[in-house]
Amino acid sequence: MASQQILFSPAELAYLHRSLSLKPPIRPDGRAPTQFRPLTAETGILPGTNGSARVHFSDGTEAIVGVKAEIEKTIEAPRAEESKPESNEAASERTRGDWLELAVEIPGQRDDEASTVFLSEMLREALLADKEFAKKLFINRRFHWRLYLDVLLISPPLSYPLPLLSLTTHLALLATRLPRLKSEGDEDPMFDDDWEASTFLYPQEGTATNGSRPPITLLVVAIGDNVIFDPAKEELAVAETALAVSVAEVRRAQKAGDMEVDSKGRELSLLSIRTIDPPSRLTPPGVPHTSNTGSSAFAPTKLQKAGDQETEGVWKAPLGGTKFGVLDGIIQAVLEKGGVADEVLDGLEGVELS
Amino acid sequence: MPLDTSTYSLALLRVDGRRWNELRRLHAQIRTQDAADGSSYLEMGHTKVMCIVTGPSEQQQQRRGQTSQRDAAAINVNVVIAGFSSVDRKKSGRNDKRIQEIEVTIANALASNLHTHLFPHSSITISLHVLSQDGSLLAALLNATTLALIDAGIPMTDYIAACTAGSTSTYAAGDDSADPLLDLNNQEEQELPFLTVATLGDSDRIAVLVCESRVQVTRLEGMLVVGVDGCKQVKQFLDQVVREKGAEMVREGAVEKSDAMGMVLDE
Repeated sequence: MASQQILFSPAELAYLHRSLSLKPPIRPDGRAPTQFRPLTAETGILPGTNGSARVHFSDGTEAIVGVKAEIEKTIEAPRAEESKPESNEAASERTRGDWLELAVEIPGQRDDEASTVFLSEMLREALLADKEFAKKLFINRRFHWRLYLDVLLISPPLSYPLPLLSLTTHLALLATRLPRLKSEGDEDPMFDDDWEASTFLYPQEGTATNGSRPPITLLVVAIGDNVIFDPAKEELAVAETALAVSVAEVRRAQKAGDMEVDSKGRELSLLSIRTIDPPSRLTPPGVPHTSNTGSSAFAPTKLQKAGDQETEGVWKAPLGGTKFGVLDGIIQAVLEKGGVADEVLDGLEGVELS
Repeated sequence: MPLDTSTYSLALLRVDGRRWNELRRLHAQIRTQDAADGSSYLEMGHTKVMCIVTGPSEQQQQRRGQTSQRDAAAINVNVVIAGFSSVDRKKSGRNDKRIQEIEVTIANALASNLHTHLFPHSSITISLHVLSQDGSLLAALLNATTLALIDAGIPMTDYIAACTAGSTSTYAAGDDSADPLLDLNNQEEQELPFLTVATLGDSDRIAVLVCESRVQVTRLEGMLVVGVDGCKQVKQFLDQVVREKGAEMVREGAVEKSDAMGMVLDE
């Protein structure tokens, strides 16, 4: 995250940290700890793609994702009878990772910059974490779809764009349609050229809806004892822990006429957790008034070595890892019924897919 | 052959059904994004571009030795062509020479048009995103940039309005009586000689002229005349977009109507 410069003084950081570790925390933009920034979203904006989405957060950040699919010949896997089934599966799993290409473009940044690569790997990893994704791209034993996801951050990167890009990718994948297959078996694939007849990559109704839905990756920070979702730039600057948590909804087969469909809620599965190095670790520490030779009439005594103790209200960059309790609390907050992931997915379901 | 010249001479209609002097559908929006200082979205036919202007702001770290820009604002242009913009996905690297040339062309055109001397020690960053391309890319980028710079309120001498012009037969055909064409799409650009021209405001002063294809010099004048004429139509359109947005903002009370405002707001 070297790209994000922190232009806060130690005094500002201390102030932010204190107000964010209060119970309940006071966030600079007045949101509740689990509240997302309001967003507007639309899908199907680019007719030249298989699926596209545009998401616009209220703070002005905006992203566009376009999905394009191409047919590719599957490289001949070793024959099943010759090799053991396990190794065959492993080989196919490895190649499936290559079936998805994801590129993140951030204006003013090189596309091979470490932070950009990390961002795109994080998004890709969440997609591939559930094993079912590659099955959707399978046409027959000789051919498969190759999916290209191009993630464009349109606005300047005001905050860490992970949640924005993840939500946009989620919507674009939901809106992705592939031409309907007309051929059968292992023959060369033939497709219906009527776009109206095309099928969704993630079908919305019918029996095919079973299985996992595209993942979302949430950015969560811990400050003091508080867990804060969707942090703004200021909040990330004082975060003690930053985690990227990927979750996906898994739909199970439901019997026809099941009356509890609505009350049952959704089943969420945790796909991956990644720690992100928060920029707060690189912030310069504040100097306590008592040990400041410039302002104090008395020379600092040896007892008050800087960094030895924490003085209330003086900023000190957080050190060390994440406690298990904090990690546990974050996962609970994400996965619980009516929790944040539930809320976000509810909101995204309201977006009309075209 | 994408543009069947024989059919063109029969009906005088192009592949997409236009006549020689017709522009494609133009659509533009200004102030599309709240976070940016200036932003715009422009469609020329199926070519769709977005422009975000940041600045004038404090100069970032000195990159590429821009020490010479101390008495005027530096203009950085950044073009991103999305991988999904063309029919076949093609990923262009950051060091693509074509993109770099487009960037330099836009930056040079703006350097002479913007009053950069008003903002010493600062930089204006223009980032352009190509969402879909179907010919006239440079022209669309220039037009979108003009709109975004107006939105950002950066003083400039006049609108830069751009469009392309071509000729109905190839260089090899050597047909001196070939008609000029206005506003080529991708299919026509593949086949025919064309140039991109940008003019300043309503005048005939040319700000940008790029021609990358071989064409007989006798045909050039006709192409240029048609191109300049197209630029005037584009300028009218851009002006209308800005006026409509301005009127809307006054109506909504986002800005106050000033007495010095020379124009009449048509409701």
